[in-house]
Amino acid sequence: MKKTRDAVVIIAEAQGDETAPITLELLALAREIQLAQPCKIRFLMVGHGTEATARDLARRTGREVVAVEAETLRDYNTETCLEILQEHLPGLSPRFVLMGQTPRGMDLAPRLAVRLGAGCITGVDALCVEEGELRFSRTAFGGKISLQMAPARSITVVTATPGAFTAPQESVSSQGSVRLVSSARRSARSRTLGIIEAPRQERGLSEADVIVAAGRGIGTRENLALIERLASVFPRSAVAASRPLCDQGWMDYPRQVGLTGATVSPKLYFACGISGAVQHTVGMQGSGFIVAVSRDPHAAIFRIADVCVVDDLEAFIPAFLALCREE
Amino acid sequence: MKILACVKQVLDSESVFRIRDDSDWIETEGDPRYGMNHPDEFVVEEAVALKEAHREVTVDVLTVGPHSASQVLERAVGMGADRAYHILTREEGYLAPFTVSSWIAGFAETRNYDLILCGIMAEDDMQGQVGPMLAEHLGYPCATSVVRETCRPETETIRVEREIEGGRRELLEIALPAVLTLQTGINRPRYPSLSNLLRAKKEKPELLDPARFPMPEDREQFLRAALPPAVRRGVVLEGDTEQKARELHGILKEMAFL
Ligand SMILES: Cc1cc2nc3c(=O)[nH]c(=O)nc-3n(C[C@H](O)[C@H](O)[C@H](O)COP(=O)(O)OP(=O)(O)OC[C@H]3O[C@@H](n4cnc5c(N)ncnc54)[C@H](O)[C@@H]3O)c2cc1C
Repeated sequence: MKKTRDAVVIIAEAQGDETAPITLELLALAREIQLAQPCKIRFLMVGHGTEATARDLARRTGREVVAVEAETLRDYNTETCLEILQEHLPGLSPRFVLMGQTPRGMDLAPRLAVRLGAGCITGVDALCVEEGELRFSRTAFGGKISLQMAPARSITVVTATPGAFTAPQESVSSQGSVRLVSSARRSARSRTLGIIEAPRQERGLSEADVIVAAGRGIGTRENLALIERLASVFPRSAVAASRPLCDQGWMDYPRQVGLTGATVSPKLYFACGISGAVQHTVGMQGSGFIVAVSRDPHAAIFRIADVCVVDDLEAFIPAFLALCREE
Repeated sequence: MKILACVKQVLDSESVFRIRDDSDWIETEGDPRYGMNHPDEFVVEEAVALKEAHREVTVDVLTVGPHSASQVLERAVGMGADRAYHILTREEGYLAPFTVSSWIAGFAETRNYDLILCGIMAEDDMQGQVGPMLAEHLGYPCATSVVRETCRPETETIRVEREIEGGRRELLEIALPAVLTLQTGINRPRYPSLSNLLRAKKEKPELLDPARFPMPEDREQFLRAALPPAVRRGVVLEGDTEQKARELHGILKEMAFL
């Protein structure tokens, strides 16, 4: 293998025996990089029982997949995974290492970057090319602005926001290839004791036509009643919330929408007092129609809303409910 | 046991700001409000709760930021932290997480902390890199997105639950010293107490000049701040509350949602 750094290496994630959606989204980003700066695209997968997923990935993408099979990762462990990545990545001559801005990617990427002497750009949602140079965009300030970043080292670790890139629908001509390697590394500093399964999904959210969601902007717990009254005027509706409300115990976690909560796509999503941070919007941007109420005219939620209501929700919702009652 | 809690001052999300003409950062308009990064409130609470639960625990709190950032140290001491340290930077502007984490590592290196706590992410630049990078600089193990911890100083370990994909949690046992980044919701942050606030006013934080730490070369280049594009071209309703409510009511009726 040539020693010039000429590859984009995607760290693949599995979901059961299948390739996780984020991994194919990363392929879209890798191809954008490749268009601007010719390079190879490779996948690296690290875990236990990786073969089935590795074959699935190679078949679906027609590309080279390196799978490091580690008995020691029967239970996933970050420290062990890092050591394995550090051992196997340099041989794949990466210029870019791509991961998802997922709990796993966020855990690994900054540490891996330090170990590789690499740059690190997290939460990327767009790539543009200026005079042949790559510019990565990532949101900041709750989505109100974006920061443009450029690589400055021979290797850069990049994490992409889930949903920001669309998995390519390509017809695959090649079979791809799988190379299985094994590793017996184990970190002595951390031990995985087990996995605690998620509380049962709130079925109400996936079945609802209309979701009325409350954010920190509702201000007081008492205002939850207002949100419930608003939901009650829509048939087949459910109430949901942003993370801070669940953190405060005002609503149960199964009703949380976003990166670490439910992903929903109702016909109507009615956001009340939600600023539109990307960790929230990844969970609801697939909704059919989005109405947002916030008193901050610059709130990022207005960038993805179909109807923007800049107002105080304590005034607006009662006014809206009064009209519904008039009928 | 020695604990270090890392906290950051951020601009309140509703403050009005615009991108500077040189695109180099933002500038605020009107009367900007600043406060403690929301996730960091959980950091201070967790540290202080550990102090209350175990014997002989000290809690140091550290911020990297401009002069005004001493405000968040005051709050942390108000909540019960013992001592405050402030790595004083120039005023507003972009600071790479690699740089910030290197400075904190330079500070922590000689102080033998058993546990270093950071917030999961800063609400302003939203990078989530400082905590895990800090762990690497110091050569400590690290767990991110922690939603529960049980510290066992007698065995020099800590058990943590960290949030992973699909609402599941990973249960880990980690050797101390270690770095944790805490997810919001791990506890209910207390309000500062009056007596602690008085103490915070009296005992000023120790100021540290970043020049005493190595200034690493940038590992990625920050080019500029820009406005993100709108994804949907939504209508912005005009008029007073009553008119806006009527218009929305009309739209939703027409679409047969009502
Ligand atoms: C790893 C990670 C995972 C995360 N996962 C999730 C997740 O799954 N889901 C999630 O939601 N968040 C998640 N977050 C948190 C996320 O980053 C944001 O902090 C959160 O979504 C903000 O919630 P909010 O919009 O309700 O609050 P804020 O950002 O505080 O927004 C409140 C909004 O209400 C407006 N407002 C205030 N008062 C009024 C009023 N009286 N009338 C009208 N409007 C008003 C404000 O102007 C603002 O627009 C995660 C963060 C991290 C780091």
